[in-house]
Amino acid sequence: MKPLIATAVFAILMMFAALTVKEKKSFTHFAAILMLGLVGLNVWELADYNRLLASAQASPDLFGKMLRVDNYALWFNVLMSSCSFFYILLVGRSIEKVGVHVGEYYALHFFILCGVFLLSTYNNLLILFLGIEILSIPQYILSGSDKRNLKSSEASLKYFLMGAFSTGILLMGIVLLYGAMGTFDIHGFNFYATGTLNIMGVVGVLFMLVALGFKVSAAPMHFWTPDVYDGSPTPFTAFMATIVKVSVFFAFMRLFMEGFANLDPYWKVTVLGTITVLTLLIGNITAVYQQSVKRMLAYSSIAQAGFMMFVVIGSNAMAMKGMIIYAVAYTLATVGIFGVLLKLKDYTYDGFNGLAKKHPFLALIASICLMSLAGIPLTAGFFAKWFVIAAALEQPGTFWLVIFALVMAAVSLYYYFKVIMAMYFKTGEPELITPVTTMDKVVMAIIGSAVIVFGIAPDMLLAWI
Amino acid sequence: MSLHDIIFWILSLWAIVCAIFVVISRNPVNSVLFLIATFFAISGHYILMNAQFLAIVNIIVYAGAIMVLFLFVIMLMNLNTDTEPQKSRLVHFAALISAGSLLLVVLSAFRKAELTQIPVTDAGDIGLIKVLGKTLFDHYVLPFELSSVLFLAAMVGAMVIGRKEVVEEKSTK
Repeated sequence: MKPLIATAVFAILMMFAALTVKEKKSFTHFAAILMLGLVGLNVWELADYNRLLASAQASPDLFGKMLRVDNYALWFNVLMSSCSFFYILLVGRSIEKVGVHVGEYYALHFFILCGVFLLSTYNNLLILFLGIEILSIPQYILSGSDKRNLKSSEASLKYFLMGAFSTGILLMGIVLLYGAMGTFDIHGFNFYATGTLNIMGVVGVLFMLVALGFKVSAAPMHFWTPDVYDGSPTPFTAFMATIVKVSVFFAFMRLFMEGFANLDPYWKVTVLGTITVLTLLIGNITAVYQQSVKRMLAYSSIAQAGFMMFVVIGSNAMAMKGMIIYAVAYTLATVGIFGVLLKLKDYTYDGFNGLAKKHPFLALIASICLMSLAGIPLTAGFFAKWFVIAAALEQPGTFWLVIFALVMAAVSLYYYFKVIMAMYFKTGEPELITPVTTMDKVVMAIIGSAVIVFGIAPDMLLAWI
Repeated sequence: MSLHDIIFWILSLWAIVCAIFVVISRNPVNSVLFLIATFFAISGHYILMNAQFLAIVNIIVYAGAIMVLFLFVIMLMNLNTDTEPQKSRLVHFAALISAGSLLLVVLSAFRKAELTQIPVTDAGDIGLIKVLGKTLFDHYVLPFELSSVLFLAAMVGAMVIGRKEVVEEKSTK
């Protein structure tokens, strides 16, 4: 429980720093140190748990079964906090430029991580609800933090209003499930307790599906995504599209794998399958028509959500592995490409023209990240897609779904490679808003090499499961 | 039909009718007033379920404080039928179809629902503050503490959104 407490304490520390510190740069240093501490605490927690496990003293259930803290969840927390650490190192400079409340922005990031840790360890619908709220409310604020930009305010308001509705739907689902099952404990759900299907519970499942689908921007609940991701300040978009999204997917998968395990497979294959097909179709086809790379990445995140839906469809041991690999591959690659995007002045495709001539290093990292997102072999994205598809294929009746997903992956090659083409084969004068520092180069090199290393040996990520 | 049942049906009818009026009344001030009436009906339900403390808190916090704040906001923004944004007929139609199909799904599902009775333990004093406090700080201590984190996050957010960014302008000039 050390990391969970630490997130809240670190957030408060950041706020106190905002009172006393005047230099904007020191906020980023302080936040990076605290984030490194958070990674350390997570590793300590993991080691501690395994030491107790060896002497058979450990129990994953904490606080009267409110949380279930096992190796899998702890390992996910370690990975997510490490990704957040690299995220701060890479985009910290840009966060300082968003507005004056830099300390508070970092505090809100720590609150979001509190929500992330809750979503990975919840065992009770109450905690799921609180986790999603702690995760969402800072996001509403962060997306509207650039107050001089009207689009940012629009994004914030849109996200807040729609998010409030989805919270209402989530609560309705939780209430119906409680009414049907008499418990909030996700391991206590039995849809056939009376012999026949508990229909009220199924309506609850439907409501929860809509609410969680909204949070992960699965079609047809995706309408907020392009406007919010495009309007928010770019560094915060990078956080919202990666760490937040994969954490909600983690919760989504655990709910269907552990909570709704004895629900009819029809739900997973047909209902979730329909959502997957729509998400892949809308995300990929609309991404093709975008002029701005930032907006294209927003649609690409919808398309990637379609692939991550396979994890929920699968809901098996393979899906657990796929979830970890996809989370890391997608987060690293997206943070990397956003890191490059933040350096550029012009977010359209033309802004990338000739980047390879002028800044070959930036172009190289961007290409590696884009190829990983497209799922080219030898990058982490390839094995991520391979694992989630293998997980889905273990469910009977998903063959055509997988074929469709592969076709859509081919479509995605078009818009990812459009950026690479612009960088390498077109001539232009790309303008940078901030110079590339040594720090940026080191972090980008780490991200780029991590994408390739995990693409060669994905088993490294599965060491703790 | 016992007295308990009669009160239950009256309160339910009251709540549903008022809730419908919240949605359909043209004047936002009327909507808020109907919402307050709905909260009173819900509080009545709480008392029927032996949750006196919740009933009182519901009236004091929701019907009292929050709704008064709502009224003030609406009066300050001077909302009325003239400023209501005009939606196209197509949007109305789409909303009608989607909401109607949701109603159909929920109605047809609940028609067949078998409600399992949840056994109520220590029924007499379950709503008293003493019992509530003990449960809150024993079994539900983690959600309780986490909601304080949630409120803290929301408070920081309100401050970030609300404060003027004057420091920035001074430093750039």
